[in-house]
Amino acid sequence: MSTAILTLNNIGKFFETEELETHALKSINLTINQGDYVAISGPSGCGKSTLLSIMGLLDVSSSGEYYIEGVNVTDLSLDQAADVRNAKIGFIFQSFNLIDELSVFDNVALPLRYHADKPNSATIKKRVIECLEKVGLSHRISHKPNQLSGGQQQRVAIARALVANPAVLLVDEPTGNLDSKSADQVMEVLDQLNKAGTTICMVTHDPRYADMARTKVQLLDGAILQAPSIKIAS
Amino acid sequence: MNIYLIKQAYLSLKQKPIFVFSVVSTMGITLGALLCVLTLAYVMLIKPLPYPDQDRLYHVEHQLISNENAIDGRAFTYPNLMHLYNEQSLFEQSVLMYVDGGVITSLPSEPMVAISFITPQWFSLFSAKMAIGRGFEESEKVNSYNPVAVLTYEAWQDKFNGEANVLEKSLTLGGNSYLIIGVLAKSNIEAPLAGAGFKTELYLPWDYNSISERERKRWGNDDGGLIFVGKIKEEYTENSKQQNDQILTTLVSENWQNEVSGHAFFKGWSIALKTKSLKSFIISDGERSVYLLLIGALGLLFIACANIANLFVSRTVERQQQLAISAAVGASRAQLFRNVLAETGLLMFAAILLAQFVIFVGFSVLQYYLGNFLPRIDELELSAFSFSASILLLVLLTVVFSHLCLKMINYHALNSTLQSSGKGNGIQVSKRMRNILISSQIATATALVFINVVLYKDAIELVNQPLGYQTNNITSVVLALPNAESDLKAQKVTALKAELLAHPKVKNVSQAMRPTGFGTLALTAMTTDHRYTVLGKDIDDQYFNMLKQAIVEGENFSAADIKDDRSVMIVNDVFANKLAPNGSAIGFKFKNGVEVIGVVESINLPGTQRIESRFYYPASLARNMLLIEQHQGQIFNRDEMISAMKIVDKKLSLFSFITLDEYKDRRLFSSVTTAVTTLVLAILTLLLSGLGLYGILNYSSQMRRFEIGTRMAIGAKGKDIVQLVFKDNAGALGIGLAVSFIVLLVLYLGFSETLSAYISLDLLPLFILTLGAISLLSSLACYLPLRQFIKKPVIHSLKGSE
Repeated sequence: MSTAILTLNNIGKFFETEELETHALKSINLTINQGDYVAISGPSGCGKSTLLSIMGLLDVSSSGEYYIEGVNVTDLSLDQAADVRNAKIGFIFQSFNLIDELSVFDNVALPLRYHADKPNSATIKKRVIECLEKVGLSHRISHKPNQLSGGQQQRVAIARALVANPAVLLVDEPTGNLDSKSADQVMEVLDQLNKAGTTICMVTHDPRYADMARTKVQLLDGAILQAPSIKIAS
Repeated sequence: MNIYLIKQAYLSLKQKPIFVFSVVSTMGITLGALLCVLTLAYVMLIKPLPYPDQDRLYHVEHQLISNENAIDGRAFTYPNLMHLYNEQSLFEQSVLMYVDGGVITSLPSEPMVAISFITPQWFSLFSAKMAIGRGFEESEKVNSYNPVAVLTYEAWQDKFNGEANVLEKSLTLGGNSYLIIGVLAKSNIEAPLAGAGFKTELYLPWDYNSISERERKRWGNDDGGLIFVGKIKEEYTENSKQQNDQILTTLVSENWQNEVSGHAFFKGWSIALKTKSLKSFIISDGERSVYLLLIGALGLLFIACANIANLFVSRTVERQQQLAISAAVGASRAQLFRNVLAETGLLMFAAILLAQFVIFVGFSVLQYYLGNFLPRIDELELSAFSFSASILLLVLLTVVFSHLCLKMINYHALNSTLQSSGKGNGIQVSKRMRNILISSQIATATALVFINVVLYKDAIELVNQPLGYQTNNITSVVLALPNAESDLKAQKVTALKAELLAHPKVKNVSQAMRPTGFGTLALTAMTTDHRYTVLGKDIDDQYFNMLKQAIVEGENFSAADIKDDRSVMIVNDVFANKLAPNGSAIGFKFKNGVEVIGVVESINLPGTQRIESRFYYPASLARNMLLIEQHQGQIFNRDEMISAMKIVDKKLSLFSFITLDEYKDRRLFSSVTTAVTTLVLAILTLLLSGLGLYGILNYSSQMRRFEIGTRMAIGAKGKDIVQLVFKDNAGALGIGLAVSFIVLLVLYLGFSETLSAYISLDLLPLFILTLGAISLLSSLACYLPLRQFIKKPVIHSLKGSE
């Protein structure tokens, strides 16, 4: 039986202004198991990124309950949420969000430096190199992000997301800022990672890449349009 | 610039009340202070004197040159002054003036008034306007002895209740009756010939000046109250100053040398007369004060501008999106500039409006507090100059700040702001520039705060230092005694003392001047011929007991010492130590036959830390000064004093009646003002610097918003982010502190002589305190901008990054 990594029960999110209340998410129920590769898709403004932010503890839900590896993380403090993000979640952003002043090595090592039990330098180095090898960029370890192409920068971002051995990778439009060739390369890396056992939840509006996932979740107006469709791995 | 732009700017600023408040209040107060000082500088240094042919008006200084060619005195002797007045041909008009105080005994309240004794041409020379009546004329010329008086407008209102028939009245002063012949107009501006603090209330003819007949004939005694001013003839204006000085010197010095030829003391001595333009004479030391104020105000403006520039930098970053949209829909660079100009102009206009209010208040404050120290301060008013300077500053600052904002905007990159991640690639202030701004803020703030704190400490120490004598319940009284023989005066004063001691409110009476008043006297030691120039005063046997000034060796004066005017003195411990460094000063004798019989503890004069050699000698029984000690909780007032005097003799009048606490407060005024000013300046500097640092660091944080968001997304906690920002700014902070230390060191090395009184190792805790305050301020400035990121879910920092 698969282990549930993320469980969302009736998660809702609404924004209040003086005049109206906007529901960005409505009663989302979703479970992502160990080894899953889930693609969340839907039109612009349907709540994809909001859902991903709540799943990544970047934002808080207005209602419902949220579990990571069976632990209720709905009402964590900001610092507790930071610890969970660091240990359990790897983020990959559309615009890479690498830190320009830091080298590739330091960018990738960053999550380990914020780890509650900060590893020693040798362990950090070993782990960073392993991750960079996984994305095929170990030869660029000393470069600065602005010396890399967009595709390479996104692969460095993937290495950074992997470095702390997270329970799940949350990926937000990973190809949005890339040309098709680079996008294909990045998606290939993600596919390989999933095949190697990494759990991935990806937001994308590109049906071609959504099809690469084994589970597809369709969102419309803040609600899951259809039950997750599971693609059987070939 | 059109109304639409201004309206847009107004609406945009309405959304940012804290920014508007910071800019308007900072610039308004700073510009107000600067404009106040600029107007003061204009009035004192540039504005012509409000008198006809003011460039031909000169003051003449009388220098007594010793046989060692040193200037021994800078005041006229009476005969020399009269000789100059009568014989000179350099000036087409000349004025003699002598200032003094007196009591108008013909008025029920017997008010004390400030009097100027003048010659008739004073009225034409200073173009005096009359409210009613006339000024002095030929009928009041020197030696005419015509007893008439002219009142100032204020004296007419205050002392005579503005009575319309005042010209029919007489006033009595010093036993003489004077017919009031005129009142000066309210608009009349008195030339401050006797110093900034002296405001004449009553003008009397020169003949009645209070110099005794004996003194009027003494060629060797100079008097600082004697003033000569003249309007130089046209034909002499081409002469050099030296030529004119020589003409006057020759006239006076040769005559003087003939007159004193019989005095061996004056052998080899001479007189030199020096002319100085009246404007320079009136300004004298005030010029230095104005320049210091100007430097201070410009320094404040510099800090304010630096800080406001930082706020504008932050504001421009915030407006990046708005500017980008404007550019995208076709706004040219010039149009964007007009957009920025409208907003900046609106802010500066509001600041200038606030500044006008600050100027108005500032003028009142300057006139109230500095009226006694700086000349021409009464002429301060909102004028064409202050208005023009305001407009100039408004335009200048608007252009400077707009230009700064525009320089930050990379017009060609604005479009990508809309298209890309919004990481601020349209507007960037380099990290190096940010660090320079932080370091300069820290350096300026640390140096200024430390200097202000040092001055504050010094001033507060002066205010709080123990004086070594009692001031509570004691009033100092100066009597105006009628002209009479000394014995008769002594009888009157003795009778008055007895009358006062019989009063139920009076505990004790001492016949002496207030404790802060001393004269300078020369004493020559009997055995060594060593000459001492010492401060001395005459007192009676009750003085030390009343003031609780302890006799530490020997004895106090006895009643017999005073009554018989014995040749004895009491010295303070400082002088005793000079007289007998290794032994007792008791029994030490001087050539005038006076012997030291006691040593008294030194006192601190309010407002000064220097304790000088002083001695006390028996006062004459005819001395016209008294100290009156009241019983605890009792107040013996001026009216009760006058009543007591009238019981003794109706001709006795009261010259002054002031408590020792009031004297103390007057002497401490400068220290209190310094303490308040430096404290305000230190706080203002901290606030301004805090504002500036916040501006830079807020900008810096905005620049790093997505980086901070990313770090938090991958597990950084709030404290990690705070540590990161602190660590990143520590270098700039350290450089700022180091620069301030170097600046202070350079100041110390460059001005060690002047600053030696202020600088000691005791200042180390103050320096550490200053560093602590600046560090706290910097920490707050680092932390506060981060709160918007670390106290909210991470998504707030990451918004817009996708």
